[in-house]
Amino acid sequence: MSDAPPLNGSIAGRVRDLVETFVQTDLVRLRIERDGEEFEIRRPAAAGPQFLTQAETPAPVAAVNIETVRADLVGIFHFLRPSPIEGDVLDGDRELGYVEALGIRNPVRTHGPGRIVSILCADGDAVDYGRPLFEMDRGRHF
Amino acid sequence: MATRSTTDARFSKWIEAAIFRKVLIANRSEIALRINRACQELGVRTVAIFSEADRTSLHVRQADEAFCVGPGPVPRSYLNIPNIISTALVTKCDAIHPGYGFLSENARFASICADHGIAFIGPKPHVIAAMGDKATAKRVMKDAGVATTPGTDILASVDEARRAAKKIGCPVLLKATAGGGGKGMRVVEKLEDVERAYASATAEAEASFKDGRLYMEKLIVDPRHIEVQVLADSFGNVVHLGERDCSVQKPSHQKLIEEAPAPNLPPKTRKALHDMAIKACKHVGYSNAGTLEFLVSGDDTYFMEMNTRIQVEHPVTEMVYGIDLVKEQIRIAAGETLGYTQSDLVARGHAIECRINAEDSRNNFAPQAGTLAKVVFPGGPGIRVDTAICSGSSVPPYYDSMMAKVVAYGDTRDAAIARMDRALRETVIEGVNTTISACLDILGTHEFRSGGYNIGFLPRLMAASVVG
Repeated sequence: MSDAPPLNGSIAGRVRDLVETFVQTDLVRLRIERDGEEFEIRRPAAAGPQFLTQAETPAPVAAVNIETVRADLVGIFHFLRPSPIEGDVLDGDRELGYVEALGIRNPVRTHGPGRIVSILCADGDAVDYGRPLFEMDRGRHF
Repeated sequence: MATRSTTDARFSKWIEAAIFRKVLIANRSEIALRINRACQELGVRTVAIFSEADRTSLHVRQADEAFCVGPGPVPRSYLNIPNIISTALVTKCDAIHPGYGFLSENARFASICADHGIAFIGPKPHVIAAMGDKATAKRVMKDAGVATTPGTDILASVDEARRAAKKIGCPVLLKATAGGGGKGMRVVEKLEDVERAYASATAEAEASFKDGRLYMEKLIVDPRHIEVQVLADSFGNVVHLGERDCSVQKPSHQKLIEEAPAPNLPPKTRKALHDMAIKACKHVGYSNAGTLEFLVSGDDTYFMEMNTRIQVEHPVTEMVYGIDLVKEQIRIAAGETLGYTQSDLVARGHAIECRINAEDSRNNFAPQAGTLAKVVFPGGPGIRVDTAICSGSSVPPYYDSMMAKVVAYGDTRDAAIARMDRALRETVIEGVNTTISACLDILGTHEFRSGGYNIGFLPRLMAASVVG
């Protein structure tokens, strides 16, 4: 067992401090992992690029293998929190959200690593079978 | 998923006061379109469901909203209860109309609808369970004093089927207890054929209805298939809307031509059938539209089964009675009374329906699939066409092969036949083989024109190469 102090307890104060520090930086994402607990702050996707200079902007990775993640049942779609954003690079099979149907949460997964190219749905959307939810780049880098 | 707006705002106040606000149509093709039309005329909004194979179908385009519920195969789409119920909930439907086939006689589905606060447009679940289950229905009818064909209850095994066939005496008929439309039905001519017939009938029933249970009854050789249409409300009021003759059937027992009223039916037999239908409905506390099917052989009448849903051939009854049966179904399910009695109902004229199927009548009516290059339907006085196809439509391989129903009305039977003959010759469907020529061949026979046919009629024409 670790001797490090837990993140809970004064967690509200710590979150407030972290957010205040975060907004004063150029960072687009801050992630803290400690003793199995995770904390992550992100800037909205649209706001992200304005903090980056042209020279710092990473060259776009050529999309070579786009796959669509679709709903496989009818229900209401919800994102997991924090919501994924376009450009997120995900390793392994990750859960992005869920379709709530008849009171049951049915996970929507990436089914493998890749980069989110497009988010095609909004939180709370009624979705039917086969409705495209995300486009994933499964390019050779993943 | 698609949405469009068709509902006339003028009706909105009336809708809230009287009928449903939004109905999910749990079916496809022409019957989905038929239900959609009734809803629109009542000012009720509609939600269509569809499989991936039906994405461009007319029933999808005509509804106010449409949701895909699964891939092409029926068990994963039109029988996918969780997705259908979920669609009704997310679209805030207050009722589901099941049409015919698929989930229309599934008591569990009706019960699940009720559990989710959705009205099922049909009888109550326990009545569907009693009457929709063919073997139980026969037992209930016996209790009500209605004559039934000699037969068994639900068969537990092929061994029991073999013993029953021996006891009843071949030929016998194996039938799906959840069945309809000739699916899951096999004639057993000889005892040694029981095993093969049992296996294929139960497999077909399982695939079609998710219920492979069978029962057996004595095969009445070459009877007439005559059925009585009933309407009943939730307050004990029951009326009949006459009978239909559905004796033009393929060897698979699927109907091809139906007419109302039944030709050359002695008045005494006609009255007996109508009376039995009313008696049966009152006995089981039936509500909504239903059909009691009888076999008629000479003076003998036998209750065969009850279909607790709208029938494919309902338009012939609508034509002679001037009543919209689908609207009546919706009104009754919404808790309204019939508002009329038997004496208010008068049949006028004669109506005939021909089923236009994607089938090769020269090859034992083998189903066809493909794309329809050109479609032209008939028109003119006395002609009604219920269909969901048009030029460019596809006929997927997953579903029933019926593409359209052409209905002809006339003041007399002869006038209706002449009109049907003319209408079928106007009809053009290119891209698949159809039953049009077979229907024309049948209409041209003396046996049909004289109204003296029975269920052995079409198989005899096929054997003599008059059809096909």
